[in-house]
Amino acid sequence: MQTVTESKVKWLLRDVIFLAIIAIFFGVIFEVWSAAYYAVAATPLKPYANDLTLGVWLMAGPLAGAILQKVGSSTIGEVLAAAVEMLLFSSWGAANLISGFVQGIGTELGFAATGYKNWDKLGISLSVLTTTIVTFIWDLFNSGYADYKPSLMITLFIIRLISAGFFGGVLVYFIKKLVAKSGLLKR
Amino acid sequence: MLKLNPTILVFIMLGIGIETSFVRSVILNGVIALISLIYLLLQRPNLKIVGLMLIISIPVAFGTWWSFIAFGTGDTHHLALVYATRLYAYLLLGAAVTLTVNVKDLLFSLNQHAKLSNTFTYGLLAAFNLVPRVRRQVQIIRYAGALRGITYHLWQPQIYFKAILSALHWSDDLAIAMTSHGFSEGFPRTQTVQEHLPKWQWGLVCLLILAYLLTAIIIKPW
Repeated sequence: MQTVTESKVKWLLRDVIFLAIIAIFFGVIFEVWSAAYYAVAATPLKPYANDLTLGVWLMAGPLAGAILQKVGSSTIGEVLAAAVEMLLFSSWGAANLISGFVQGIGTELGFAATGYKNWDKLGISLSVLTTTIVTFIWDLFNSGYADYKPSLMITLFIIRLISAGFFGGVLVYFIKKLVAKSGLLKR
Repeated sequence: MLKLNPTILVFIMLGIGIETSFVRSVILNGVIALISLIYLLLQRPNLKIVGLMLIISIPVAFGTWWSFIAFGTGDTHHLALVYATRLYAYLLLGAAVTLTVNVKDLLFSLNQHAKLSNTFTYGLLAAFNLVPRVRRQVQIIRYAGALRGITYHLWQPQIYFKAILSALHWSDDLAIAMTSHGFSEGFPRTQTVQEHLPKWQWGLVCLLILAYLLTAIIIKPW
């Protein structure tokens, strides 16, 4: 017997598959980026490379939030992306999954601050801000940013905000607009 | 030969991994990396991949080390070593899971022992089978653009938009296909394979996480 309950189950099968496929797509697209990252990461400029490219890794979270518009979609979207990365592509190992969770929670907070009502400019902007702060606090411990000189810490924070703002904010906003215009979201 | 349950491996990885983020000890990082490496090698992995992974990580670890020498405060030589070795602790901790367990076994194990829902388990499994198709689709998007003289850049929304369109179509199709093959969302399933998880392995998780915590707090190794 075929049994489908559309309303009761919060996370539908197609949502889960959708997020996972998005995560795989992003993983494949970003393989191109990692070459550039590795080139810079081999020098003392590594923290700059980290923060400059951070926005790219962040994108899956806000995008999942803005498109699926569900409580928890940013966190789950980001964790899935991190899991896919860890299983298929990454050289970060265990750190991947943990920082994916931190990034997801960071993004989630921004949307939660609007009471999960605004998934547009305001929600996305807030999520950029919260995820920048949350991930930076995490990196104070995890990547040892707390042991850098204060001037470098401030510079890194600003670079991170710009990177997250562009990739996790502006770019996500325009992608969402394109998807909305295609009319495919009302499914 | 000792082979831990995939769920247990994930819990150890996350538990020790989170602790590692807050403990600044070269010795503990080294111990974690070494134990992970030994476990990894005991499982007879593809040595080429292990070697490649270790080689690729050298420049990044070097960059980490150098950045603390250049920009660090306090005992920079110690800190530089802490963060460089931490990278290997993470890398090998992760590899001990990802290189010894395949995605299917991992998902089924989490489904049975860690309450990962059926929707997520089978949904993720379905998606993972599409990895080769995703790779091809990205190429197709690029080539289709090139035919019309368009190059998609990573800082423009178009390539992501096209990826999302494919993902929307595929996820709908796959979900419908699974439903029509009898997959019922939110309903209990019968399990054909019961994977055994001995209780002592849960004990091992607690023991390792506690031992790490106590060593870090009480002994404070260098």
